[in-house]
Amino acid sequence: MVARADKRALKAVLIDLSGTLHIEDTAVPGAQEALKKLRKASVAVKFVTNTTKESKRSFKNKFAWQENEIFTSLSAARSLIEQKNHRPLLLVEDSALEDFTGIDTSEPNAVVIGLAPEDFNYQTLNKAFRMILDGAPLIAIHKARYYKRKDGLALGPGPFVTGLEYATDQKASVVGKPEQTFFIQALSDLGCSPSEAVMIGDDARDDVGGAQNAGMLGILVRSGKYREGDENKISPPPHLTCDSFPDAVEHILQHLL
Amino acid sequence: MRIQHSNMAATGWPECAKSLKGVILDLCGVLYDSGEGDGVAISGSAAAVKKLKESDLQLRFCTNETQATREKFVGKLQRLGFDISVSEVFPPAPAAIAVLKERGLRPHLLVHDGLLDEFDGVDKSNPNCVIIGDAAENFSYKNLNEAFTVLIGLEKPVLFSLGQGRYYKETDGLKLDVGVYMKALEYACDLKAEVIGKPSPTFFQSVLNDMGLQPHEVLMIGDDLVNDVGGAQRCGMKGVQVRTGKYRQIVSRDFSSC
Repeated sequence: MVARADKRALKAVLIDLSGTLHIEDTAVPGAQEALKKLRKASVAVKFVTNTTKESKRSFKNKFAWQENEIFTSLSAARSLIEQKNHRPLLLVEDSALEDFTGIDTSEPNAVVIGLAPEDFNYQTLNKAFRMILDGAPLIAIHKARYYKRKDGLALGPGPFVTGLEYATDQKASVVGKPEQTFFIQALSDLGCSPSEAVMIGDDARDDVGGAQNAGMLGILVRSGKYREGDENKISPPPHLTCDSFPDAVEHILQHLL
Repeated sequence: MRIQHSNMAATGWPECAKSLKGVILDLCGVLYDSGEGDGVAISGSAAAVKKLKESDLQLRFCTNETQATREKFVGKLQRLGFDISVSEVFPPAPAAIAVLKERGLRPHLLVHDGLLDEFDGVDKSNPNCVIIGDAAENFSYKNLNEAFTVLIGLEKPVLFSLGQGRYYKETDGLKLDVGVYMKALEYACDLKAEVIGKPSPTFFQSVLNDMGLQPHEVLMIGDDLVNDVGGAQRCGMKGVQVRTGKYRQIVSRDFSSC
């Protein structure tokens, strides 16, 4: 292929999971074939996710990924907790607790919030609130506004984190997308800089906006939680907006390699 | 009620008291602490209210109470020993109902069960707005999701928050107030709520209108620095902060450990 003046040498593709590759238990049509094509090309592939609903192991079982190909906001949270020696109150789903095995949770002195609808009740939030007022740091695995369930959109952890920030006049440390450090950390073992990588996702702000802020290219797909007009909500707009993951892969194979 | 004297020195107390013609009192955290049953009267408050009533000063009660109808919580205060009647009390729900009428709106309600009766005559079919109050246990994930679903389904989503408080004090500790859930829904739906109740200037003005007084002739006493004292002072009234209720001595935090 003739090299164009504005073409970056693409070395890595980061792929969002929930809403991009699969919607709950169903793979996006054509996703598995597109992924195979991408793997044959000379790029590294990594799966990045804020979905705190499942731990790394359960993804591996679904799409036959390698352990080191998956980077989650849970892994980012665990790093932070270990770094600071926190004993966390973990408001995350049972299936995500696995990622925190070995961490001391007795007499918690930090609050960690993921997607945990059963914990977003008045009593548990009051407990978290009082801990933060007493000095416990608030760590948000991510601040997604909502996510897509089979029965429609449902509140993510973002609204509850925002509420607790307001209640306590404290700012949460956010470890997941769209934080820059999340994307940089995800690329760190691939030996490439952000300008040599592209991110594919269904969340304009958290996937595409976040990646582009970190120096990557972003491709927005119209699946999952995407809603009409989302591409206009970020600046600069996505490098590309296309119907779904297979279309994104086609574009990469034809124009970015 | 203990009064914070240092602020008064700055605003010319006691000279400014001579021009006072009216007093507005907050209820929860000033006259009583809510909790099990009727809650607990704050020591000395009932006697202080009696003294105010015996003076020439006009007296009104301005509250963001939204866990019960006016009749119910006035009844509770009377049982706690306070000389208080419904016509002297200004809570947000009646003000909200007036706004709904004015703008032809039909609400989806996320409020405490005790407040529902206040909305009896209101058309709630096919809602085109959401009203949240201090719903306490009703702030379940399921209920919040329902409110969120109504809002994102509207072409012009409108969210009314009855007050915007961060937390209040009950006998068994501090609890999250409606403002927290207002911020949650604002963030989720990317919209700004309209606050009905303290510290909205329109709300304070409706009380002043009822008293027939100008702001500079009135003093507001409250435990909430932002919603009571701040709100009142922004309208031109004088504000007194009491160290009961939700008042907390703020200790500087060590940010390096965060």
